[in-house]
Amino acid sequence: MIAVLGLVLGVVVGLFVQPDIPAAWVPYLPIAIVAALDAVFGGVRAMLDGIFSDKVFVVSFLSNVVVAALIVFLGDQLGVGSQLSTGVIVVLGIRIFSNAAAIRRHLFRA
Amino acid sequence: MSTTAPRPDERADARYSRPDASMSLLTNVVEHSLDDGYADEARRTGRYGSSRLPTTLRGKLVLGLGIALVATILSMGVSQVQQNAPVAAKQRQELIDRINQTTTTADGVQQQVGQLESQLDQARRNAVSAPDTAQLDELELVVGTTPVSGPGIQVSVDDAASAGTDLNNASPRAGAGFSNTGRVRDSDLQLVVNALWQSGAEAIAINGQRLTNLSAIRAAGDAILVNDHPLTLPYVLQAIGGPGLEQSFQNNAYGGLYLGQLKQNYQIRYGVSAQGGLSLPAASVGPLLNAHPSPSEGTKRP
Repeated sequence: MIAVLGLVLGVVVGLFVQPDIPAAWVPYLPIAIVAALDAVFGGVRAMLDGIFSDKVFVVSFLSNVVVAALIVFLGDQLGVGSQLSTGVIVVLGIRIFSNAAAIRRHLFRA
Repeated sequence: MSTTAPRPDERADARYSRPDASMSLLTNVVEHSLDDGYADEARRTGRYGSSRLPTTLRGKLVLGLGIALVATILSMGVSQVQQNAPVAAKQRQELIDRINQTTTTADGVQQQVGQLESQLDQARRNAVSAPDTAQLDELELVVGTTPVSGPGIQVSVDDAASAGTDLNNASPRAGAGFSNTGRVRDSDLQLVVNALWQSGAEAIAINGQRLTNLSAIRAAGDAILVNDHPLTLPYVLQAIGGPGLEQSFQNNAYGGLYLGQLKQNYQIRYGVSAQGGLSLPAASVGPLLNAHPSPSEGTKRP
């Protein structure tokens, strides 16, 4: 119930309140989205595995977003530009895929 | 760490060294797709395999907070994309509109220029009295600012076949340099043009470039320039003049005789033919910035 409330609250804040993102932070939004998706898929898989932990869910999500943003920031400062964010996307993408595959095995036994 | 459930990769590492050890980075990414924290936490609380949704109020609150954060970020991304897509399309449309607008303006201005030029022409004709109009026409012919037609001769000059400029789409730039003796030089064209004037030509154009008193025939790089336009081969000189022009040109020391020498010594190709009706284009003479009629002599004409 509280989880559903949180979902509704988050969507309302994101869509209707539309907090002003500073222009300097805009490049980090896609990375944050991928990190959020990774956290969601990881959480669902952990739930199906029976090892879910709310604390780990929140902490891993926050730390993933922060670390991904730091890597992108570092890439910008080092002048390698978007290559490092490509690396972040690739690693998180692989994780999302294999977590989705594990979820699929749980749900469909295939 | 509890020992109830050994981690799969530890078990694997203990038994044999992996054949794909060199790809350990990729293997690591794939095998640790789930945060290890989940397994550690479940083992610590002793609920490995049975911990699904949180049951305590605190756990539910934390989960709700996490889901709210995730939902916020995802919906922010969605709204960001939806905001930006129309903006990009709008900017593109605005640029297209500006291009169209400016093109229309340029067309209008061009038309205006044409109208004003014909008005100016009319006004000039109105300003001078009737006998002077004929003089104005004649002066324009002499100066080269009007197209001219009449009988005359056509002299075409081309590089020797051995110069290798026949290929490459007749572009003199791509062929041999002027050091090749088979090539027609700018000085050759200058001499031939002088011979044409001397033989009584009244108007001359080289490859459609009308010669005026501001024209120069010069070489730049591997090309000959007339009126600052590079020429392509062959060089066709059209001259308007009376019936004696051809004969006079053929006998001129720097006309037919000179070209004959060039043909004999360097195999340069040329041809002279009488033409019944030649029409030469007008020269595009730019405005003179520094030359003004001098006050005392300005109105006198020889």
